[in-house]
Amino acid sequence: MSANNVEIMLKDIGMVYQADGKEVPALTGVSLTIQKGEFISLLGPSGCGKTTLLRIVANLLQPTSGEIQIEGNTTRAARLQRKYGMVFQNPVLYDWRTVGKNVELPLEIMKIKKEDRKARVKSMLELVGLSKFSEHYPQQLSGGMQQRVGIARALAIRPEILLMDEPFSALDEFTKEKLHEDLLRIWSKTNKTVLFVTHNIAEAVFLSDRVCVLSPHPGRLSAVVDITLPRPRIKEVRDTTEFTTLVAKVRGSFEGV
Amino acid sequence: MKRAKGFLTSRGMITVLWVLGIVVIWEIGAFYIGQVKRTPENVLPHIYQIIESVFSTKAVSSGQTALQVVLTSAGATLTRAGIGFLIGMACGFILALLMSLFHMVEKIAFPYLMIIQMIPILGMAPIVLAITHDIGLSRIVIAAVLTFYPVSANTLAGFKSVEKEKHDLMYLCAANKFQVYTKTMIPSCVPYFFTGLKISAPMAVTASILVDTLQGDGGMGCMLSQSLKHAMSIMVFWQLIFFSALIGILSFYLMGLIERLVLRHKPARELRAKEEAE
Repeated sequence: MSANNVEIMLKDIGMVYQADGKEVPALTGVSLTIQKGEFISLLGPSGCGKTTLLRIVANLLQPTSGEIQIEGNTTRAARLQRKYGMVFQNPVLYDWRTVGKNVELPLEIMKIKKEDRKARVKSMLELVGLSKFSEHYPQQLSGGMQQRVGIARALAIRPEILLMDEPFSALDEFTKEKLHEDLLRIWSKTNKTVLFVTHNIAEAVFLSDRVCVLSPHPGRLSAVVDITLPRPRIKEVRDTTEFTTLVAKVRGSFEGV
Repeated sequence: MKRAKGFLTSRGMITVLWVLGIVVIWEIGAFYIGQVKRTPENVLPHIYQIIESVFSTKAVSSGQTALQVVLTSAGATLTRAGIGFLIGMACGFILALLMSLFHMVEKIAFPYLMIIQMIPILGMAPIVLAITHDIGLSRIVIAAVLTFYPVSANTLAGFKSVEKEKHDLMYLCAANKFQVYTKTMIPSCVPYFFTGLKISAPMAVTASILVDTLQGDGGMGCMLSQSLKHAMSIMVFWQLIFFSALIGILSFYLMGLIERLVLRHKPARELRAKEEAE
């Protein structure tokens, strides 16, 4: 892998919060290099700083120490160039806008011409399999469908990096498995770099190229596990011994939990 | 059987029962008063007497029938209440917007808002009248002052209720402040804004009627106190009582109606799309 293929470069990232005059370390010494098009999971229990790390990458937080580069530039520059698409734990849809209008929202902000917006919304909804629901309102959709709208909205701005903050944790197991496969299909079609925050080991193993294991007190990167499972992955992969071995390996790499 | 029970507990039925209950109690009272008082109309007339007076063509005051008197005075009061309400609504919204945009404005203005809200109308009205020297203008000012606070406080609460993730989303789209407000903040606060309007609309009506009583210059409040003193026009008094109650209630429902027109997107939850379609 050549150096100019690096999407995200984290060097010795530290984050310290001020609480009641005391300094609370949330992250220490996180170094990680992510290649373009990689699917990376940030896995760990609550309090390990995985969401903090995601927010640092997204320019929503400034690290108190260390260095971060997005394609050799600052996170602020990346944000202003709209290189980030974000999917949240709750879909955070606008209930006064139809599904189509929700996906269109970031494009309106980018001041893209109306015809181009419509075309993009159409292709995004096709990608997530919701073409028929463009005129529905979010509250008429199931939780899984709402999250698909969230993914379509994140991808609509054609970001380089898709940031996902426990996007499926509120969904039931069946919907979740379906969305896992859909997400991998969408990812292989769009070639985005994905940073996926989760506390579910099996989910991280199933989806990722590499699983970054974070441990708490203080939050640190305790292991990076390569997931060697072949692609494309289908749900039966979960029943293979390779899969269970990798899950066991990831579980074994936690420290002090 | 089940259907009969469903009908008896439906909302429409409950309203009917309430109205019937009030009518029964009213009539029992009127019947009793009729036995013991010399001029029962001044204390509690029968409901049919009031209804009769609405359709009566007999002139009660300077050539006008009771209903004409009521409508003329109501016109004077309610147009002022309406103008004040609109002014208060606009100012309340703009202040909420400023408080949301600039934290300093909120810090400075919010305590004064609370204080204005705490002054009773009856205390404030004479001062306003003394300053403006005009009863019509006073009505507008008082209605505006009363509308102002609920609208402002509720709208501000609406701005503050916007989820953190929506702010994150706007930030990641590199939205400017104008876009953040027009695309996210203002649409989000609409239901809160209407809550404020629903609270203040009946208040604006009540306040304007109270302001009327300060000066004999037409208006519902003025007519209320005058008509009570004359046997000729006593039914004007009772008509006004019902009319003002009705207007207060209707003003509330009018706000609800406008809200539903604005928020047409709120479909019933039962309309959920079929899951199989996934």
